[in-house]
Amino acid sequence: MNTKPKRFRIFYLSLFFVILYIPVLSVILYSFNQSPSTAQWTGFTMDWYKDLFQDRVIVEAFKISILVAVSTSILSAILGTAAAIGTLNVTKRMEKTINGVMILPLLVPEVALGVSLLLFFTALKLPFGYLTLVLSHSLFCVPYVYIMVQLRLKEIDKSIIEAAKDLGAAKWQIIKTIILPLIMPSILTASLLAVAISLDDVVISTYMAGPTSTTLPVHVFSMMRVGVTPKINALCTLILVGTFVIVGFSQFISKKSNQKESI
Amino acid sequence: MRNTKIKSILAIALSIILVFALAGCGNSGEPNGSNDQIDGNGGSKQINLMTWGGDFIPREIISQFEEKTGIKVNYKEVTSNEDMQSLLEANPDQYDLAVVTDYMVDILRQNGSLEKLDKSKLSNFSNINPVYQGNYYDENNEYSIPYAVSISFLLVNPEAVAALGADPITSYKDLWQEELKDKIVLIDWSVEIMGLVLKSLGYEYNETDPVKVAEAKEKLFELRDNIVRFETNTPEDSLINGEAVAGFMYSNQAVKGQAADEKLEPVFPEEGMPIYIDSFVMSHKAPNRDHAYEFLNFIMEPEISARISVITNFASTNSAAEEYLPEDFKNNPMLNLPDEVVENTSFYINVAEVTEEYDHIYTEFKMR
Amino acid sequence: MLKTKKIKQNAPVVPVLIWIGFLVGVPLIYVLALSFLSRDHLGNVVLEFTLDNYKRVVDPVYLKVFYSSFLLAALTGLITLLIGYPVAYFTANLESKKRSLAIILIILPFWISSLLRTYGWIILLGNTGLINNMLLKLNIIQQPLNMMYHFGTVLVGTTYMLIPFMIIAVFNSVGKLDRSLLEASYDLGASKWKTFFNITLPLTVPGIAGGFTLVFIPSLGMYFISDLLGGGMTIFLGNVINTQATRGRNKPLAAAFSVGMIVLVLIVLFIYSRVIRDKKEGLFL
Repeated sequence: MNTKPKRFRIFYLSLFFVILYIPVLSVILYSFNQSPSTAQWTGFTMDWYKDLFQDRVIVEAFKISILVAVSTSILSAILGTAAAIGTLNVTKRMEKTINGVMILPLLVPEVALGVSLLLFFTALKLPFGYLTLVLSHSLFCVPYVYIMVQLRLKEIDKSIIEAAKDLGAAKWQIIKTIILPLIMPSILTASLLAVAISLDDVVISTYMAGPTSTTLPVHVFSMMRVGVTPKINALCTLILVGTFVIVGFSQFISKKSNQKESI
Repeated sequence: MRNTKIKSILAIALSIILVFALAGCGNSGEPNGSNDQIDGNGGSKQINLMTWGGDFIPREIISQFEEKTGIKVNYKEVTSNEDMQSLLEANPDQYDLAVVTDYMVDILRQNGSLEKLDKSKLSNFSNINPVYQGNYYDENNEYSIPYAVSISFLLVNPEAVAALGADPITSYKDLWQEELKDKIVLIDWSVEIMGLVLKSLGYEYNETDPVKVAEAKEKLFELRDNIVRFETNTPEDSLINGEAVAGFMYSNQAVKGQAADEKLEPVFPEEGMPIYIDSFVMSHKAPNRDHAYEFLNFIMEPEISARISVITNFASTNSAAEEYLPEDFKNNPMLNLPDEVVENTSFYINVAEVTEEYDHIYTEFKMR
Repeated sequence: MLKTKKIKQNAPVVPVLIWIGFLVGVPLIYVLALSFLSRDHLGNVVLEFTLDNYKRVVDPVYLKVFYSSFLLAALTGLITLLIGYPVAYFTANLESKKRSLAIILIILPFWISSLLRTYGWIILLGNTGLINNMLLKLNIIQQPLNMMYHFGTVLVGTTYMLIPFMIIAVFNSVGKLDRSLLEASYDLGASKWKTFFNITLPLTVPGIAGGFTLVFIPSLGMYFISDLLGGGMTIFLGNVINTQATRGRNKPLAAAFSVGMIVLVLIVLFIYSRVIRDKKEGLFL
């Protein structure tokens, strides 16, 4: 490869990442702001972090949110992937039907989905809380997984699968040994996206959370009437730092195991 | 190559999930997870409360109550009156108390969703200021207990207004001055903005007379150029950072604005102002009634009530609380509302009847 | 005979279809029914058939709302594509380790509350924000630039919120481009750009279509971004639906607007699938 386009590539990607992270950095910066308002900077303080650790409501909401997000992500990864692999074999017409049905959850406005699921689940006598949150969140996370995984599936060389069939491999064997390893990265990135989507939902969570459970985004949005404090900025900073430590750590581990392998 | 990549991603994902799952399950021993909401008829010592989040009902007050009585308070946070109505009417047996705004008390009451309060169990009700009792939404004080009062008025930066060459702002009419181009921030709600315009013309809120409404519409359109932004939640920010010199906002927001910038001053327009009373109501199928009464009584204790007002920046509804209020609270006309200001306020009544027309005008106004 | 084979063939996907169909089908029917009902003076829904809600929806004032929302969504789709495509393409060409790290770095900011990230933009773009402060200090400008409360500000917000979906979708379809095809094209003397337009781009059309769908639809409903960044100066569909469902106390009208929005999306997707059908990759419809 010649170096000029490569340099441009690196420049473009770096610029993109800088812009991507600047708003996030300002969120972090204002977690150290003395004033509770983002309209002015009045000086440096660590008080919001102190407040954060004494606030059991935020901690509680955070725990529920993470639990729901992780469960949602796992459930929608399984359902979405199953649907995507399933469509490999179906008739053309069926595939179109599925593609259509899959974008339905994105089409219905959140308020409408929230209110009608509230009435629906009440009629079914489902207890509101963890269960209803995961059910409703995976409803609009599954389409993301499905679309992402299906895009990758279309890239798989059909001849490999045919060859395996000719060699007498059973269906699940083909899926397990050929298809799944090939699409695994897509499933994982889609799951990470599902976590992000679930962690961000306010409207549906308001209706789906029971009387004893409030998720973090609902907590944040419901504060708007009396004012969102930088405590939330502090929490987000910690979440971000935490995930970066984990990512860095696993990079470090995989680097080490790579070195071992190469020896 | 392929394999190591998958491995590394897997490692990352798994470790993230693991850490968060651990964080999530770490304290699951506590009895306030999401598992105990099915508990029905007051078997355990708890109440389920629903209203706006943050410190709308201050957490320190709730903790005090829990320590004193051993009753756990589950605080469900929502973002609007209508959310509360949907949730309460879908599952009335899951909620004990809610704090809703005046007009919603009226709606819930007419829908039969509220419990008539047993005054004999509310010994502290006598502390409540009679000024805030017996309003249209609950004439006989049967269903609601006033909790927080806020009014909307103008917060103004007089220096900046003068610097623009405009006359001092003393009433709504002054907002139409040409000098104030792009310098006004308003609450983002059709009924409230139409109300402002109607008042500036000397009419009443929620006017339905087509001639008067048409006049108000025209007048509203003339205001367009002066508005820099519509904002319901933090309008005071625009005055703090200087992009606006006057704003129409709720009293608790104005208090916060003045705390951040001493130059900002309240103006109570002579034409009249809207008032909101957020009130406690009880579900007609409340599962933990006795504990709920205990909570209501606690909230109405003078000292507690005073502390709540100080934290939330809402005017106190509690006459007995007055002696516990700090001096700067009592001396602040935005918090300790002067009688002549309260007398000059009125409620938005029968909102649902005018919103359709007002929303249409408001949308046309914005889409020009 | 043939029919049973078909049924067998389709069997594996039926459970997911039922699951989604059930959970979304019920709300959809509810919304559709609601949009034909009336409300009383309290704002409660009453069982009384009416077409008034749709009359409201096609009112010229509200059609303008549809137009501005469509414009916002289409531009968001376009801009996320223009910015995101090179990101996805370059990322796909990184060595595998860096590639997975890059993908994770793209997704991570979105684990932070979108409300806070929107405030993050206000901190940057505001009158006394970081950018204005910096420019004033450097004496590049004398008066703070007025960057807030425009259509463009809203566009910045929606683009920022939705760009990862475009990137990941395109990334998934760029990921395994057949190298031999590209090399063959180079061998035949085609330039880089020509190869890109003739081979790479057509092969990634499904990714673009998928990404566009995942960006276009949500940007119709993101009401708080237009409230905060747009200063509420323009109304979009998400705002109307949200206002009518809550403070406006008119759920039937909100439902009618929802139906209108769904129809708008279906029309766009239909036209879209017609346009890209030449590529034989009609992903939807």
